[in-house]
Amino acid sequence: MPSLMILIPLFGIIALNLIFAGSVKMRRWAFVFALALFVLQIAVAVFYHPAFRNNSLERIDSFFRMAFFIDHLTFIMFICIGLVSIASLFVARYTMPDESGRFKFTNLLILASLGMSGIVMVKDIFSLYVFMEITAVASFLLIAYPKTIESLEGSFKYLILSSVATVLMLSSIGLLLLVSGSTSFTEIAAGIDGSRGSAFVLLAIGLFICGLFIKGGLVPFHGWLPDAYMAAPAPVSILLAGIVTKAAGIYTMIRIVTTLFPYNQAVNSVIMLIGTISIFVGAIAAIGQDNFKRMLAYSSISQVGYIILGLGAGTGLGIAGAVFHLFNHSVFKSLLFVNSAVVEKETGTCSMNEMGGISQKMPVTGTTSVIAFLSTCGMPPLSGFWSKLIIVVALWQAGHHVYSALAVIASVITLAYFLSMQRRVFFGKLKAGLENIKDADRGVLGVSIILAAVIVGVGVFFPFVYTTLISPVKEILIR
Amino acid sequence: MNGNWQLFSTFGFFIVLLFVCGAYCLVVTRSMIRAIIGIELLIKAVTLLIILAGNMTGQVALAQSLVITIIIVEVVIAATAAGIALSVFRHTDSLDVRSLKNLKG
Repeated sequence: MPSLMILIPLFGIIALNLIFAGSVKMRRWAFVFALALFVLQIAVAVFYHPAFRNNSLERIDSFFRMAFFIDHLTFIMFICIGLVSIASLFVARYTMPDESGRFKFTNLLILASLGMSGIVMVKDIFSLYVFMEITAVASFLLIAYPKTIESLEGSFKYLILSSVATVLMLSSIGLLLLVSGSTSFTEIAAGIDGSRGSAFVLLAIGLFICGLFIKGGLVPFHGWLPDAYMAAPAPVSILLAGIVTKAAGIYTMIRIVTTLFPYNQAVNSVIMLIGTISIFVGAIAAIGQDNFKRMLAYSSISQVGYIILGLGAGTGLGIAGAVFHLFNHSVFKSLLFVNSAVVEKETGTCSMNEMGGISQKMPVTGTTSVIAFLSTCGMPPLSGFWSKLIIVVALWQAGHHVYSALAVIASVITLAYFLSMQRRVFFGKLKAGLENIKDADRGVLGVSIILAAVIVGVGVFFPFVYTTLISPVKEILIR
Repeated sequence: MNGNWQLFSTFGFFIVLLFVCGAYCLVVTRSMIRAIIGIELLIKAVTLLIILAGNMTGQVALAQSLVITIIIVEVVIAATAAGIALSVFRHTDSLDVRSLKNLKG
């Protein structure tokens, strides 16, 4: 049954291109189809059917020879993928006037979300690689889509670094195959347990983690990320920042570390060190930026640092905090990128020094932006506060007092650059030449309000969300 | 592993050789096409590694299916990369990566 999450989008894309591509009128249905798909994905995750979890449609699954499984972490990722894709879809309708260009965009968006649904469902390290490549190729094409020289440059940098990451991960897969003779998670874990301390295993672990650091854009390997986010068209930035790097890099790291090498002190300390460096370098680099999207990209690096810092704590609580922050980050960072898309479309620039006082003309965008950045900095009672609190408490309980103190200090830097952004872009006096701008259309405003409502809702109903959604994630550590 | 030591060392030598060639190509070159060729060389090294792993562990069928999948994926990546390089060439009339310096900050 889980394979339907892959099959429906796959045959949907084929059908769209065979039947609907012919006439311009029919192409509009692509939007409706994609929207229905993503809503279905969220609906499945929210009201998950017991049948969906345990039963498998034997005939379809055996045809694919690919075993999928679904647990609590997968459901959270489904919700993230659905939410971010819907935001991206509505922003595309707002920023891309060209009908046929948008049709191509919608197809690639469905392809990317198909790849990510696959990433979060596989239980086999090689299928993971295949789905990762599907997502990556769709993202390269999406970034390069406007065909300006900047977007091609961002796309090419991402392509080269992502291919290097792929090579590192594939060599690791090869070494793990040599050690355990299989590619499924459970057998590899058994193989690693059997040959503890072998040089091949250590090399394989190192290579895989390195590859994931590149994919997730963590600090020593972050060169491609600000360029790709900045050069990509607005809806694609939302998709990349909200979910693609998180599903391909961070989710995979959580899954691999908890299933293949849990309680490995060396791995955990490397992850914590890289996480802390990312938090600080990302935050400090964000302060000096003038380009709105580039600043959000550096902020994204910094927040991803928090996620893997929680993972590095190595306890159930730390992993719950990491997953919770992953969810929150994809919501508030998508909201900030939606706001930046609206501002870019209306003012025609991304430079923050050329803006000012936009809040008077765009009340909804200004307000949702305040909610999103306060949540990013960890203001109670918004959602970001709770996830950061869980990460800090988990680090303290695990005995990493220094890291936990550094995580708290870095929140202040986050507040600094976001306050500077808010003051330069939204508050103050309206800059000359911006008198005629207006707020976005109804679809985009609806998306902004829904995302802001999710931030406030998750923050206020934190106990309910934590016990039903986040806490069960701890199970993945105990096998 | 002892019986197959000769096989292992021969394969290992070529894997490392290909890997070093690919990495060197990627580091030194300034042409976009050569960078793509470097990536291809690296993936070839990994393909060889997986064949070796399949042979050593007796999982030849598994290794074959993995290698075929890798070849398909690699072709897709190479085609995408070449397409991007072609579009850059149309903009700048050169394949030099030093012409890609518009994004900074």
